[in-house]
Amino acid sequence: MKLIKHISILFVVLASSMTFAQVKFEAKVSKTKLGQNERLRIDFIMNKDGDNFEAPNFEHFQVIGGPNTSVSNSWLNGAHSYKKTYSYFLQPIKQGRFTIKSASIEITGVTYKTKPVNVQVVKSVKRPNDPYNVEGVASENIHLVAEISKGDPYLNEGITVVYKLYVSPNTGVSNWRELENPRYNDFWSQKIDTKGLRIQNGKYKGEDYRYVVLRKTVLYPQKSGKLEIEPLKLDITVEVPTNRRDIFGGMHMAQTNRTVSAGSRIINVKPLPEEGKPDDFTGAVGDFKFNVMTSKSELNASESLRATVEVTGKGNLKLFQLPKLTLPSSLEVYEPEHNEAIRTYSGGMQGSIADAYTIVPQFKGKYPIPSISFSYFDLTTETYKRVSSGEIIIDVIEGPINTSAGDDNLATANADQTEATLNNDQFAFIKIQANLKPIASNNFFKTTAFWSSLLSPFLLIPLALVYRREKEKRNADVFGNKIRKADKLAKKYLGEAKKALGHKEAFYIALEKALHNYLKAKLQIETSDFSKEKIEEILIERQVNEPAVKEFISILEHCELARYTPITTVEMQQDYEKSASTISIIDKEIQ
Amino acid sequence: MKFIVYILMFLFGTVSFAQNTTVFDQANTLYTNGDYTEALKKYTSVLEQEEHSAELYYNIANAHYKLNNVAPSIYYYEKALLLKPNDKEILNNIAFAKNMTIDAIEIVPEVGFSRLIKKATNTMVFDNWAKLSVVLVVLFVLLFLMYYFSQSTGKKRLAFITSVSSLVLAFIALAFAFNSYGLEQKNQPAIVFAQESQIKSEPNLRSEETFKLHEGTKVQVIDTVSNWSKIKLSDGKTGWVVSDDIKRLKRL
Repeated sequence: MKLIKHISILFVVLASSMTFAQVKFEAKVSKTKLGQNERLRIDFIMNKDGDNFEAPNFEHFQVIGGPNTSVSNSWLNGAHSYKKTYSYFLQPIKQGRFTIKSASIEITGVTYKTKPVNVQVVKSVKRPNDPYNVEGVASENIHLVAEISKGDPYLNEGITVVYKLYVSPNTGVSNWRELENPRYNDFWSQKIDTKGLRIQNGKYKGEDYRYVVLRKTVLYPQKSGKLEIEPLKLDITVEVPTNRRDIFGGMHMAQTNRTVSAGSRIINVKPLPEEGKPDDFTGAVGDFKFNVMTSKSELNASESLRATVEVTGKGNLKLFQLPKLTLPSSLEVYEPEHNEAIRTYSGGMQGSIADAYTIVPQFKGKYPIPSISFSYFDLTTETYKRVSSGEIIIDVIEGPINTSAGDDNLATANADQTEATLNNDQFAFIKIQANLKPIASNNFFKTTAFWSSLLSPFLLIPLALVYRREKEKRNADVFGNKIRKADKLAKKYLGEAKKALGHKEAFYIALEKALHNYLKAKLQIETSDFSKEKIEEILIERQVNEPAVKEFISILEHCELARYTPITTVEMQQDYEKSASTISIIDKEIQ
Repeated sequence: MKFIVYILMFLFGTVSFAQNTTVFDQANTLYTNGDYTEALKKYTSVLEQEEHSAELYYNIANAHYKLNNVAPSIYYYEKALLLKPNDKEILNNIAFAKNMTIDAIEIVPEVGFSRLIKKATNTMVFDNWAKLSVVLVVLFVLLFLMYYFSQSTGKKRLAFITSVSSLVLAFIALAFAFNSYGLEQKNQPAIVFAQESQIKSEPNLRSEETFKLHEGTKVQVIDTVSNWSKIKLSDGKTGWVVSDDIKRLKRL
């Protein structure tokens, strides 16, 4: 009896403890979204044993397994837990959203029901998930991704390609090998060394992953248009957990090899705008500073100086030419030394390139280094920019002077300028005397004045010839000479009379005067002793023959007479001619 | 009335002449004080009065040299040399200015007979040759007449020989005058003013570039077609250049 009492107490205690614990009955699906070709597992879990379990009729699903029943009892620190599960494996029949209705069970007389579960069935997936298919797991948990900083860069604009390997937390990668390396045709490429592999946490399609950056490459497209970046292919040894466990209960990891590829990417490279492209553009794209410097500005001849042409900044530094320095020909210039100090970061190349020229002036003087310009395409403003260096003057203070005359023209005056010797080697001062002349000058050559003065002297020759011939002719002609002589005398002395011919009074006065004048000139007699007798006497004395003297006297007499007598013009003419001939006869005979 | 106008014109002429000389002196003072820009302004104002001299061009060139203007300085030195080809100071300073130029152009030396002829031709300008030939012709005629009219045999012989030789010399002088005139017409120097000028193979922009010339180089203009000039360098190279890139030394 006492034993029965004890047993009943024990039951009461047990029953009360049981009523203390809450009854749980719920449905759990392995996934709420699945492909049509995948399977779904549904568990109905209760924490107290019941009877009359009634599964829902799984509409739209086909039961391919189950019900499997499992019971677990556990005591943990004296606490007892119980779990009973009914599992079904279901295969969806068609796509759509379906509701798995509630199941029911009777526990200690009370009926419990689960909540209905919504499941979405989508198109069949490629690989029905099998959590323990090693290949499947590997492909799902490992991704190789190529990240490109800019999909539509300009020609020569730097872009970076970063290859990242994403690995999900429950898988491992023990080794990898590169199968195919992208060759980057039509790109200038530089690999950036990544120091070691740092595992970082990140998200891939919204899920937590670990990733490593496998490599970084800076690319400068060298061609415009659509360019393809070849894929990177890796052979990876993957460790995937399996459902097998080792003796310590740890997951057994299966190894498998997988080939992952980062897929080829197309980059659309924009050409640089043609509009506003400077002539001296050599393809520099980026952000640059341009400098031309000389180490000295004043020096002596045969000393050397360095001129540096430098471009610093960010951009495709290795991919363009520095502008050349043009220097006066009288400077000795050596081939420039090219220096590059470029670091390639993930943002692109950065640093400076420089050409250093060694210059040795030979002669004294000033040498300008003409301004040179450098053009580049600025990516931030998307315009061309042109930077000019200023003109630099090199002053050579001491040294010989350059005497070789630079050039010689085709002809003219300074043909012999090379022979000009220069005494002083200083830059000469200005001239003080202006000596200004009007600019417009008149040439003498080829003018009419020139031709006439050149040719007219020749005319003198024929004139002289004619003159001489005439003279000879005259000398030869004796009679003619006589006449000419008479004419000449008459002209000389009877000129007045001839003028007065016709006027009786005036004519005879003039005639008389003329005759007197003639005698005065010829015989040197004074007018005072001018009587006819005296004249006659002197003339005869001077060997003049009688009739001529008579004639002369008669003319004189006639002159006196004529003043008082009427005389005709014809008579006057006769008198004139008579006196002329008489004078000539006397002139000839007079001694 | 006309007469007064003439007198006035003459007076004004002399006044402006005197003015230009004082401007020249003022410019010289400015140059001496180192104010080259102002000096240049004064000098060029004299040029604008249509008056020039080798000295004026030389001073302008010096001022340009001091201001580091390569092409103008060489241009004015060359202009000065056209007027005074053998002036030592000008030759000295142009050597300094030519140091600043970039192009080195070789001179193809002329040899033999043509060089001799050229040298002889260049001893005088063509106007002087022309004057000389006129003088010689006159001399010839006088001597010829002397020969013709003189009586004694000795005198006759002497006069004949000298007259004939002066006639020959007159013809030679005339030939030199023509030669010199021809060379003078052909000599159309110009200075490259553009900092860098492309010399093309044809007078259009499409054609190929044969070479480049830089500021201050002296060229000879052989031909012009619209706004292109055919140029020749002293080393014999030829090509076409845009006429705006060069500046001619002689007025057209």
